[in-house]
Amino acid sequence: MSAFFEVSGLGVHINNTRIISNLNIAFNEGEVSALLGHNGSGKSTLLNVLARQISPSAGDVRLQGNTFRQTGAREFARTVGYLPQHPPATDGLTVRELVALGRYPWRGPLGRYRPEDNHLIDQAIEDTGLSAFTNRSVDTLSGGERQRAWIAMLLAQQTRCLLLDEPISALDVKHQVETLRLVQRLARERDLTVIVVLHDVDLAARFCDRLIALRGGQLIADGSPRDVMDSGVLESIYGVAMGVMERAPGQWVSYVH
Amino acid sequence: MSTDVRPLPDSPLALPGKLPVWTAILWLFGLTAASIPLLGILTPTELVSAFWSYNSDQYSTVLAHFSWAPRVSVALLIGCALGLAGAVTQQVLGNPLASPSTLGVEAGGQFGITLATLFFPALLTFSPDLAAIAGGLLAIGLVIALTWRLGFSPVTVILAGLVITFFMGALNMAFLLLKGEWLGNLFIWGAGSLVQNNWQLFMDLWPRVLVIGIALILLMRPLQLLQLGQASASALGARVAAVRMTALFLVVLMSATVVSRVGVVAFVGLAAPVLARLLGARTLRQRLIWSSLLGSSLLLLADTLAQWASTWGNGALVPTGTTTALIGGPIILIALQNVRNTHHMPGQAANPAGFLPVRRSTLATASVIGALLIAVFLVSMGWSPGLDEWHWTPASEWGDAWVWRGPRLLAAVLAGVALGLAGTLIQRMTSNPMASPEILGISGGAALVMVVLALAGIQLDRTGQLVAATAGAGAALGLLILLARKHRFAGNQLLLGGLALYVFMDAGIRMVMASGSSVATGLLNWMYGSTWLVSDHEAIALLSLILLICGGLFLVVRPLTILPLGDSTASSLGISVGKARLLLLLLAALLTAAATVVIGPLSFVGLIAPHLARVLGQQTVGRQLVVAALAGGLLLAVADYLSRTVIFPNQLPAGLLAALVGGLYFLWGLSRHGRS
Repeated sequence: MSAFFEVSGLGVHINNTRIISNLNIAFNEGEVSALLGHNGSGKSTLLNVLARQISPSAGDVRLQGNTFRQTGAREFARTVGYLPQHPPATDGLTVRELVALGRYPWRGPLGRYRPEDNHLIDQAIEDTGLSAFTNRSVDTLSGGERQRAWIAMLLAQQTRCLLLDEPISALDVKHQVETLRLVQRLARERDLTVIVVLHDVDLAARFCDRLIALRGGQLIADGSPRDVMDSGVLESIYGVAMGVMERAPGQWVSYVH
Repeated sequence: MSTDVRPLPDSPLALPGKLPVWTAILWLFGLTAASIPLLGILTPTELVSAFWSYNSDQYSTVLAHFSWAPRVSVALLIGCALGLAGAVTQQVLGNPLASPSTLGVEAGGQFGITLATLFFPALLTFSPDLAAIAGGLLAIGLVIALTWRLGFSPVTVILAGLVITFFMGALNMAFLLLKGEWLGNLFIWGAGSLVQNNWQLFMDLWPRVLVIGIALILLMRPLQLLQLGQASASALGARVAAVRMTALFLVVLMSATVVSRVGVVAFVGLAAPVLARLLGARTLRQRLIWSSLLGSSLLLLADTLAQWASTWGNGALVPTGTTTALIGGPIILIALQNVRNTHHMPGQAANPAGFLPVRRSTLATASVIGALLIAVFLVSMGWSPGLDEWHWTPASEWGDAWVWRGPRLLAAVLAGVALGLAGTLIQRMTSNPMASPEILGISGGAALVMVVLALAGIQLDRTGQLVAATAGAGAALGLLILLARKHRFAGNQLLLGGLALYVFMDAGIRMVMASGSSVATGLLNWMYGSTWLVSDHEAIALLSLILLICGGLFLVVRPLTILPLGDSTASSLGISVGKARLLLLLLAALLTAAATVVIGPLSFVGLIAPHLARVLGQQTVGRQLVVAALAGGLLLAVADYLSRTVIFPNQLPAGLLAALVGGLYFLWGLSRHGRS
């Protein structure tokens, strides 16, 4: 596996507050990684830097070996898709219209949609299980369905990488699991690189290949779920005494003492 | 919320030193400036004693006692009253931009007096307060009723207040144009003149201000609880609704008392509390005290400024209300830097109620509106009142009738089309169904240039006007871009910046009104959209301009769909957000300027037409543009026809008619929006 994103010496300052300093990390192609950490640890900031929503104050980020500062907006959008933490209200757009917006990076303001665009849009809707809602207004969907509609838009964007900022924080347990399962399945089927910010370490361990933890803008844990799901490591991440049980191979439960 | 989390100091928070210092400086400056004209004649001691006595042998002391001293006293008193009222309003609504002016209370009071002057003159001799209070209550009642369900979010309340102010202004104007001979003086008064020739007004005013002021101060503690939010305040035993109602009623009483005596003294009630807060007044008690003190000094300064301007303007009366409005504009701009809770706007609620927008075929809707447009065109060309009765002009005579009816109709339709397009662009890019070129101040910028030209005594032909108006709209736009740059042209800042521009324009217009010259009448006619001034080739030129711009619109349909999904989504879909917004703003400004030259700055067509398109089931950008353009054209075509025929043989400005209808539609739409 080659490095998809390569972050070196990254520093981010916002309003003279240091959020991230001297961070070095690489994200591999085709891997589902979770970014963990307590509030204010810099995980969302890191994701924003990767999505080019924030420009770093120091250091460099390389996308497939090239620095991405000079890449054109649409060109970048064909490679990296980003779902913000709170997607706004969609003002009457139907599911299909929202998903169709994902073709913008490929077709621009005037380009006609070709049959393959429509095919990709339908495919994305089908892959996210929203076929029944194609012509429903996005605002009328439930939280979980709405989240899937936005993910479908990212799929139609046909990027090789998805950056998801706390995609499940507003959902109930059932929809949390469904959404993460969907992301995991899509990543395998489409060979996507996924970086997702999560709060729930158990779900992260269940659905992600790699767990990365930040604290105070520094990398403090990085490894497979087996490495990270350890009471000592979790304690260092969250700052509270924690324990871990392995219920079955690959299924951990963490708890607070 | 804010990132600058400073450690709390150990000692209790002291009052910042700069607050008393700045207040003292403003008072000193105001008093000195106000007394400069008399200082050459009288000694400072004589000047001070002028407040209670005069020497009948010395004319200058008489002048000081009966003109200068009461004027200063009235300015200080009214400033104090309005500062206090403004601070209370901000506390009641939890809104740093609320004030009697921005909530439409002053305009309402003025409207009440206009009505009373025309229809119930007896009431005015009995008590002018009653009419003003009724008008003020009506205005604030409307604003509150309209924004109740939208949670009183600051920007919504201010927008509603602004539209109510617009609307009442348009009604006032309609009465002026219909019954101008009765209302001439009303305009000088309406612009807030503090000229005094005895102590009567001050003696009349101070007991009332004192009583209302004490009542407001008694409400201080329950008002303080409001800061905790409705739930906590009522848990602490405050009757929130009752406190709010009482406080607002007292504020209306206070403003109406002032308005009914000296007219609209705009923005002191906004500027004083904002300034107090900026200088560090933290608790409610501090804010009330320092707002009152700052209000006094601000109004004294503004009044002095007005007096000086009158002197420079060869004695032309410059009402104090104008200069306060000139101060008010920048204050809004300062205040808007500090508005925090602006992201919650109507249509932007995190989770809007699950109503399914209707969708209809664009072709069908567009053909119906198109057919209506053609019908209006035929009726407008053919069916008209003559000297004796209504009659139908035979088609063979249309060639002759064209000169009189054609160009103005064409121009009105085109202006409507332009406004419909501009309104759609602006509503979409701000994600706010209440935005429009009128409210964004782009029309206002164009109008301001015209006002300045008129003030300078420069006469222009239509082409000159078009160039000047475009320059004005461009300048307004440039200013907005500068202001909004650091917010990446975000919607709310644009709207509030536009509000500030409108305030400037309003001040200019009132200045022209008060001058009462023939220029004023011409400008007034243009302001309210008199289509009868349009010539044949001007209409054709407008047509080609609009067609040209329509071509450019194809470029923006898709970016315009994506931008409301948020900056991060838009940029992650590959749109360079800043550039796209700039292009959109340019197109919107060009369209607005073209329309403003024809129809004036105050029609609500840019607000209504896009909204109408949504109601008619056109939910996507491209469709909304098409239908909004047609609807805008239809609206102004009807307005033009009616303006020509309703009071035949006289004419009403078409823009004024459109504004009256549009205002009603807006109020209806807002209440409907709240319910959905």
